[in-house]
Amino acid sequence: MKDKMPVLTRRDFIRGTVGVTLGASVFGLQWPREEARAAATSLVTVVRDKDAMDSAKNIDTTVLEKMLVETLTKITGQKNTKDAWLSLVKPNDVIGLVPTDHLNPTHDEVVDVVKNSLMDAGIPEDRIRDAQSPRNAKKCDTLIALPALKAHWLTGIGTVLKNYILYSGSPSRYHHSNSSRLGEIWNLPFVKGKTKLVLVDAIYPLCDKGPQPDPRYQWNYNGFIAGTDPVAVETVCLKIITEKRKAIRGEPWPLSPPPICVEAADKVYGLGTSRMEQIQIQHYGWEHELLL
Amino acid sequence: MNADKPNLPKTVGIWNKLEPSRIINPENIFKYMNGAGELYLGYRFRHLEVFDYTSADQGNILVELYFMESPDDAFGLLSLDWGGEPVSFDGAPAAISDQYFTAPGRALYGGGLLRLWSDNMYARIMAERETPASKEAVLALGKAIASDNQYPSEPALVKLLPLKIDKVWKLRVDRLSFFRSYLVLNSIYYLSHENILDLNLSTEAVSAPYEHIAGSGDPQRSQFLLVQYENPERARQALSRFHDAYLPGHQKEKTAETAADSPSIFKLEDGWLAYKLIGKHIAIVFECPDPESARAILQKNESRLLKKGEGS
Repeated sequence: MKDKMPVLTRRDFIRGTVGVTLGASVFGLQWPREEARAAATSLVTVVRDKDAMDSAKNIDTTVLEKMLVETLTKITGQKNTKDAWLSLVKPNDVIGLVPTDHLNPTHDEVVDVVKNSLMDAGIPEDRIRDAQSPRNAKKCDTLIALPALKAHWLTGIGTVLKNYILYSGSPSRYHHSNSSRLGEIWNLPFVKGKTKLVLVDAIYPLCDKGPQPDPRYQWNYNGFIAGTDPVAVETVCLKIITEKRKAIRGEPWPLSPPPICVEAADKVYGLGTSRMEQIQIQHYGWEHELLL
Repeated sequence: MNADKPNLPKTVGIWNKLEPSRIINPENIFKYMNGAGELYLGYRFRHLEVFDYTSADQGNILVELYFMESPDDAFGLLSLDWGGEPVSFDGAPAAISDQYFTAPGRALYGGGLLRLWSDNMYARIMAERETPASKEAVLALGKAIASDNQYPSEPALVKLLPLKIDKVWKLRVDRLSFFRSYLVLNSIYYLSHENILDLNLSTEAVSAPYEHIAGSGDPQRSQFLLVQYENPERARQALSRFHDAYLPGHQKEKTAETAADSPSIFKLEDGWLAYKLIGKHIAIVFECPDPESARAILQKNESRLLKKGEGS
């Protein structure tokens, strides 16, 4: 059996040999070892307001606007939203907004609030585009990822990394073991380096059975999770989803299958960090069931 | 048995049905629901019919009727989650057995979503906003969908599982799932990103945990998996593949000829694993605390299988 390719199994997750097996099988290369990384940490903000959405699912855009201000100023360290945006994008950039459009989509109100905020910062409306398709993304200088927080039955989590799956031109290629390769999409020539902000709509997340909505596993988290490091943001999202599942069952309820795309995005594709010790989480506002 | 297309009302409460309905087939299911489509293709899916009920200010109600090849497939979809409040429509049998598995309910409601199994149909009826009025409407639609349909029994395979093992282990019937796809298996109990058990639409599989009865504190569970293949040769090949992928470095302790006598047992990182080839079936138990438990769970299941004449 020595000449057979190793297969990633449950046992790899228990033994901590996921990297070795994936490296030798899916990626055909050695999983990069824990190289000496710069000690820099990635900042992820979690901004919440209990009034962002009510029990009837009505969104208060005024509250969202305040949450966005808080998010932008904390992420960038700037004093106001205009300076914050202009530290992330150039005034002449064509900016693509990339919400999740289907099944637990990003709330329209979130997209509108972001768009209006960009316009208030002086970005002309005609330079702000919807960039869900690869065709539109190619015309953009900058991308703002606006995924909605959800678990996914095929990949474990289907939020940040999966948000660009249409850019691959062949989404089904990433459904099975190749879900570990989702990070490669972020390194496509017309995508790489363009994402200046990841802002996750965590107003009404889904922690099981995604992407099909199931209200039993959705709840009012009423938050924005944001950062400039997509992997760090995804890792924090993962933590929230995992903790919510544990709270529902009253015992650990790991995502199944395990979301290997997150660690691979870090260790194979170098998109950011998936190590919690390298992520600085700052949370503001509503603290009820923060799950962090 | 085949569910006829149900005669859905034009209005239910304050909700009005939009015309026409939408028909989704295996070719365009991904367009309708992205990767969620793999779930339905993992069973024997024929088509989906979607109805929208709208209201002026109380949100919409979405009705999805999944027409499957057999009642077993429709049951399988419901079996992926037994959570929710059981709902009984007139005429639906409330069969309860302490001898073998019976479904906790054929219709389950929670949070505005009703899921039901009726003949070869699996249905999801979901209110955008849950209110007393929308719940009433959702249940009325469920009743309309289930009316005049037959109530087939659960798949034969799931009824083979003994509910108790030596008064020590009990089957968690609320976590029992029937499936055909390794992707579905992975969503229940992750084994591998590869199809190491050769599951496909011609196979049938059931999995559930056995929980230690006398345990205190954290429950001790062992995951049981039973797969039925088209014939014994397919089962033998699948077991060989499983062993190579999941147990590399472990010698195959039993040959095909001797496997009928006793299970193969292995000490792994998360406990004891035992498997056995039983005719066209493979039985595997994971995460047992000791070899005796692994052996007992397999043997009890095997004897049920043989007793029902399913061992060949």
